[in-house]
Parts: sequence; structure tokens; C-alpha cells
Amino acid sequence: MIEFSLNGKKITSDAEADTPLLWVIRDEFGLKGTKFGCGIAMCGACTVHFNGSPVRSCSLPISAIANAEIRTIEGLDNQHPLQKAWVEHQVPQCGYCQSGQIMQAAGLLATNADPSEEEIEAYMSGNLCRCMTYARIKEAIQDVAGQSESVVQIYNPKRDAQGVS
Amino acid sequence: MTRLRKDKIEHSRRRFLIGSVGSGLLMAFAPSINALEVVTGGASEQLAAKSFSPTVWFEIDTQGKILVNIARAEMGQHVGTAIARIVADELGADWNNVEIKHVDTDPKWGYMVTGGSWSVFQTYVPMSQAGAAGRTVLIEAGAKLLGVNPKDCSTHNSHVVAGDKSISFAEIVKNGKIERTFSPEELAKFEPKSPASRQLIAKPSQALDIPAKTNGTAQYGIDIELEGMVFARPVIPPTRHGSKVTSVDDSAAKSIKGYQGYEILTDPSDTVQGWVTVLADTYYAAVKAGNAIEVKYDLGETANVSEQDIISQGETLAKDKTSGTLVVEKGDIAKAAQNAKTSLESVYKTSSVLHFTMEPVNAAVEFKDGVCHVHCGNQWQSLFLPVVAKAVGMSDDKVIIHQYYLGGGFGRRLAGDYMIPAALTAQAIGKPVKLVFTREDDTRFDCVRSPSVQQMNAYWDGDDKLLGIEHGAAAGWPTMAMAPAFMPEGVDKKGKFDPFSIAGADHWYTLKNHRVRAINNPLAQKTFVPGWLRAVGPGWTGWAVESFMDEIAHKQYMDPIDFRLSMLDASGKNAGEAPVSVGGAKRLAKVLTDIRSQTNWGQTLPKNQGMGIAISSGQERDMPTWGACVAHVEVDVESGKVKVHKLTGVLDCGTVVHPDGALAQTQGSMLWGLSLALFEGTEFTKGQVKDTNLDTYTPLRMNNLPDLDISFVQNTEFPTGLGEPGLIAVAPAIANAIFNAVGARVRDLPITPEAVLAAMPS
Repeated sequence: MIEFSLNGKKITSDAEADTPLLWVIRDEFGLKGTKFGCGIAMCGACTVHFNGSPVRSCSLPISAIANAEIRTIEGLDNQHPLQKAWVEHQVPQCGYCQSGQIMQAAGLLATNADPSEEEIEAYMSGNLCRCMTYARIKEAIQDVAGQSESVVQIYNPKRDAQGVS
Repeated sequence: MTRLRKDKIEHSRRRFLIGSVGSGLLMAFAPSINALEVVTGGASEQLAAKSFSPTVWFEIDTQGKILVNIARAEMGQHVGTAIARIVADELGADWNNVEIKHVDTDPKWGYMVTGGSWSVFQTYVPMSQAGAAGRTVLIEAGAKLLGVNPKDCSTHNSHVVAGDKSISFAEIVKNGKIERTFSPEELAKFEPKSPASRQLIAKPSQALDIPAKTNGTAQYGIDIELEGMVFARPVIPPTRHGSKVTSVDDSAAKSIKGYQGYEILTDPSDTVQGWVTVLADTYYAAVKAGNAIEVKYDLGETANVSEQDIISQGETLAKDKTSGTLVVEKGDIAKAAQNAKTSLESVYKTSSVLHFTMEPVNAAVEFKDGVCHVHCGNQWQSLFLPVVAKAVGMSDDKVIIHQYYLGGGFGRRLAGDYMIPAALTAQAIGKPVKLVFTREDDTRFDCVRSPSVQQMNAYWDGDDKLLGIEHGAAAGWPTMAMAPAFMPEGVDKKGKFDPFSIAGADHWYTLKNHRVRAINNPLAQKTFVPGWLRAVGPGWTGWAVESFMDEIAHKQYMDPIDFRLSMLDASGKNAGEAPVSVGGAKRLAKVLTDIRSQTNWGQTLPKNQGMGIAISSGQERDMPTWGACVAHVEVDVESGKVKVHKLTGVLDCGTVVHPDGALAQTQGSMLWGLSLALFEGTEFTKGQVKDTNLDTYTPLRMNNLPDLDISFVQNTEFPTGLGEPGLIAVAPAIANAIFNAVGARVRDLPITPEAVLAAMPS
């Protein structure tokens, strides 16, 4: 039995130790916003925050997350400035990868509140978007990055993970 | 070129019903004329009994909320928003009160397909008329309540307005018992609003499906849960056709916690041959069981086919001037060839390409009360519903496909083949089943874009005057594999052809002598199920036509834009027809002229950089979207690597119904064009695709994003389509730019650094 925190709630799972976190989140706890894409950590659709850092949940066995803080797209409570920017810039097309894109971008801004264009490209290139919404993803991130640091840090997941909010 | 005829719904033969149902007001097209014979009762009665076509219906409740039901698949094109805006604009509705809903299928309701960039094109007039009919009724009822003459009323912001008096739609719905049927003739009299009086169409707007796609609440097929369902994963056989299971050994799977067993599928529809599915309590257990189970097969006959085998067959066929079916036959190309003093012969090839939708294909199926319920995202429900019925041995009316958001369509989900193993497994075990393909399962079962080979010949007379062009295109044909009834006869009546696999070869350049042969590649057809992939035929015919036009221009020492303009005289069949292709080739000339000035064409660029031009006319001659693309590239002459600095696109799709959606679609489709030009391609080895996941299959990512400059010609012509056309001209524009940069002519897609180096002039 593995105990961890999911979006701020302490939970336990009886899933086999090698089960990727993705399936536990989706099928055991019913949070379907995190998506299955490639299964080999190369598309980013399954990105969640593990103690504040973006990880690919499709390749992370739950044995590795004991007592960790896990945050999914649902855990942003529809309040993250990136989510607003995603709507303003009309980023999603099919939308399937966008939970992962937002979680990845949130991880970027939490540690680098005003990234350069090159830093955005480098950080976001692990996330595939088959609809190729890259130009809008980049614009939306730049838009939020241009806002004051405090706006971005409202949802600094690292701080959340440390119990400081 | 023939569009799916069944999809050309004849709204002119349908009545339009408006009536109070419950406390709301419902508006819908009546079923087709034949079905009407058995439908009786007034509008309200028919509407309450749901005896109407699902193509469109909308309802207004007592709060004034307007719900537009959409029978099109939402796969990123925000189609619901575009369609709802047409209705809402005619109604005079407040956009903030409009919601959309994507409906379930019921076979009696009509034909459901989303593809070919048709949605806006086909629904523009009927939706406008439906909205106008609704407006008429609301005005009549509102005028009565206001005590004014309907003639003095108009609608605005969900209100009926007469001078300083007004009443909201909500009040009208609350107060009036409404009952009205419009005859087809009455409906046909409604002309779409004039551009000047539009309130919503062509104005900025936000897509209604987007918020749910930013917070994890949008529901895709893979998100479905059914009470008591069992998880399943397929074991994909070594060949697409003809494999037979000879033995199954699941001893290694038995130690997997939650493993329930396996099923060997027998499929009366022959969609899946030699299939086994494994079952488990959880999906991950099913994944592990699929890896652990050992299945032995009698192999199908294509077990050793390679990409090169398919290409070689294509080369032979394309070269053979007697092969294939004639699709264009103008003048006498044989005579032109005979009389030619000089000629140019080029062969263009494209490799197999995967759809690689982000959401792997999946379906959940439940048999309940004698009905087979299929839950999944799909683009062409009406195509595979009868196949599901055949597979499970039930009649069509006992199968319902429930629609969800599609985690990418791109043509993959026009095929509904993935529903079949889910349905067969659920039937076999007598429990609901959710069958999910792993990424590797998904790619091995993909209906890939067929490899293609095109032979292009041009002929000149003694005065160096171009006599004509001969074009033979060989590929696997999706329509032959999945919907043969939609194949028309060639102009030589020698056989049928797949219109979607040759479209684009019948271009808008005026040639004295022009022949196009559509050639099926039987080895491709045997080895895999060829699929429709975004832009379909024009995705490869455009590659050959526009690269070859550049080759011809250079051979004639002409500027590639001047040369193209000289051929776009809009004469004869290229004059176009009102309303859809009004202006004809002149509209292509306009986008070419526009893009020339916009890109400062002819400017001096640094060494090893170049610009290239290509044009396209969209998916079909009957529905042209006129487009030009200029690619600005830089070639590393040491490695042969190509960097695309910028893509400029100018498109004319008539009226732009949803401007931001149009831009989004074109950004996406142009980047698809770039991805297919430089980054994507696989090959068949031993009868299956070699690249099954992102470790070796490498679509475009953000680090290779070029600058994009996309604009639309502003006019008020009939709206056509935008889902695909942006893709077509990108690859040839890049190839033509590479030639202008370093003199290397590449003729194969994807363009590899090795091919660029090999083509460099010494």
C-alpha cells in the first residue's frame, strides 16, 4: 500500500508497485484530465507535478512516489494564470495534450518566472502537440511570464509542496 | 471530383419544424422526404417524438439559453462554434447565451461524417436558413406579444425589437405556444444575411469547447467508464490481413495480478483477422498481460513486404503509360509527347506516414437491452456503424455510437475499425469492455498514409513552348479499402478511382494537353489499410505538381511566380463557377500576387538561404480554398540539414466564418505540412510499420517552430474549408526554397539531409 498526497489530499493506493502513476490517477481516483499518449515519457500528455516538478506519470511507478505531493491539472483548481491565458489565446484544438502542456509550463514558470523564448522552447519541446498549437502555447506562456512575478507565484507548486502557500 | 454524395444532404427537400416542446422552443429539420411519409402530427408533436434530422437542431429554453446540437465530430477544429455562429447570427442571438452539444448517433437520424474540410462548406446555407426561419417565428410571436406589426421588428442580442419596444427570446418562449412548419420552398427563400448585416459571422469570437480543454474536464473516448467494465488490450497480429491464430500460451500472464484471460476474436466483418484480446481488472495489468502472452500465427501473405517493395511496384506502375484510370484527359498528350523536341521527366515519392493522434484509438462497448452501445470519438460514424452491426450479428438499428471529443482526428478516426475488437470482446465475455490500444498497438494498427510514387512528364516543342504535362500517381487508396461505393468512374470509363487520392492533380493551371492517371498500388492495398490522412491526396499530388511546376519554370528560365501566373489565365474549365469557385484560377493568381509583395519576393538573401513558392487549391475542385505558401529556408551545406526560418501563407476560403478558428486551423495545417516535409515518415518492414513510438517517430516540436505569417483574403464569397488546405503547399514550397538556396532538387518526402547532400550540384 502506497500513501501519497493527490492535489493536497492524503490518499492510499493498493495498486501493484510497478503500476505507473498515470493509471492510478485516472482509473483508481477518476481524475481523467491527465492523459495517456505514448507510455514512454516522450509526449508529455501525462505530465503532473511531483513535489512541484513536472514528471511523466506514464513512466513513474507508484512505488517511487510514497509520501510525495502529486498535483494534476485538476489540482490547479482552474485558477492558474496559464489556464486563463490558454483561453485568451485560444490555444487548444483537440485539447488532448493541453493538460500536460499547462502542467509543464506551470513547472517552468514556478522556477523561472520570466523565461526567454529559447528557454520556453527548450523546456516545452518534450511536450508533443499533434494539432501543432506550438505558436499559441508559446504566446500564452510569454503572456503570463510578462505579468508580475507575484501573479505567477500564487501557484508555485514547490511552495505548495512544502506546505507554504 | 465527387464529394461523398450521401453527405450532400438535400435540405431543400426537407421541411423545417419549429414548436413548443415542454417549456422550451425546439427547431429542427424534418427527416428526409421518404421518412416523412410515416411521420404524422404537427410540428410540436413531431419534435417531441424526436422525429427529426440530427444534422442540426437547436432549442431555446425559458431562460433564453440557446442550445445548438451538432452532429459533427469535435477534433480541434471548433466546428461547433463555427456552425453555432451561423445559426446564432441569423437568429439575432446573444452569443453569450449560446451553448453547443455534440450528439449521439442513432442510425435513423441520418448520415454522420466529419472530414474533407466540408463542415462549414456544407452547412452554411442550411444553417443560415434554419436560423432565419427561427428568427421569423420569434419575430411573429414577439410582435404579437408587443402588439406591433412583425414587419417593424428585427432581432438583436436575443431580443425582438420594434422601435423602442423589445421583448427577450426568453419571454417569448415562456409566453407563446408556438407551432410552425416551413415547407422546403419557404425555407429555400431565406437568403443568408448580407455581409454588412452580420452580427457574429466573420467577427472575433472564442471557441465554446476551449475552456473545458484547459482544466481537464473535456471528456474524450478514453475517459469513458462503464459500470462493471473489464479492461482490454489487443494483441496485434503480424499482418493486417490474413493472419490466423494457431495457438495461445498465456502461462506467463497468469501471475499478473488482475489478469482475467484472453479472447480469440472471430470477426464476421473481417475487419480484424487473427486477433486476440487480453482482459484484466486494470488497464496496466492488461498492458502487461499483452506483453506476456505468446500468440502463434499462420502469417498473412504480406508478412515480408517492405516499403521498398511497395515503392518499386509504384514506380513500375507510374512509368507504365497504360496503367491506371484517366481522371483528366485534355488535348492529346500522346501526340504532344511524339512531337516534343525536349522533355522533362521527374519521379516524386512520399513515404508512409502515421496519423499518431495523441489519444491512442480506443472504444468502450456495452450490450444493454438488445442494443450495442459503442462509446468513442469518431469522425465517420455512419461508415463503421454497419460494420459493427455485421461483426456482432445485429441489425444497424441496434447499434448506437456515442460521441465524445476526439484526441485528434486528422483522418485516423474516419475509420472506426478500432470499435470492432472492443465490440467482439464485450460480446464474447458478456460484460462491458473498455479496449485501449497502447501507442505501439495504435501505430501498428494505423491506417497509414500510403507511400506514393508519381511520374511527371513535361513536353516542349521546337520553339521551347510547353506542350503539356502527363501525370501518373500510384498509391494505396483509402476509399477503395473502406468506402468503395464512393469511387467514381474515370473519364475513359476504364475503371473506378479514389477521388480523394488523386484530387489536386486536376489543378487550375491551363494546359493545352494534360493527362492524369490515378493508379492503385495493389501491394500497398494488400499490406495495410490505406488511410485518409489530413489533406489526403493533395498532400502528395501537391508535392509533385508544385515541385514540377518549379522545375519547369527553371527550365524555361522564368521566375517561378511569373511562370505560375502565366498559366493561371482562368480560361475554359478554370474560369470557376458561382458561387463556390467563382473567379476560378484568378483567385489563385491573386493569392500569388499578394504573397509576392508580402514576402518581398526576389530580395537578396544570405548565402545558402532561399525562398520557395507553391500554391494549392484545397481539397477538391468543387470546393476550392485558394492558397499560396512561401518558405524561407537555410541549408547547412556540410550536413544537408534544412532549417525553415519562416512560412508565409495567404489563403482565400471565401467568407471566414470563425476568424480565430480559421487562423488556428491554418497554423496547425501549415505546421503539419512542415512536419511531413522534414520530420515525419516511416517505412514498412516485414509487413508492418517500423516506427511505433516517439523514440524513432519524430513529429515537429516547439524547438523547430518557424515564424508564421498567415493571412486571409478578405471577401464575402461562399465559405469553403480550412481544416486541411494549409498543409498542401508547404512541402513543395520548402523543396523549391532548397533549390533556390543551394541548387539541390529533392523529390522524396520526407526531405532528408542525405537526400539534400546527394542532390547538391557538384
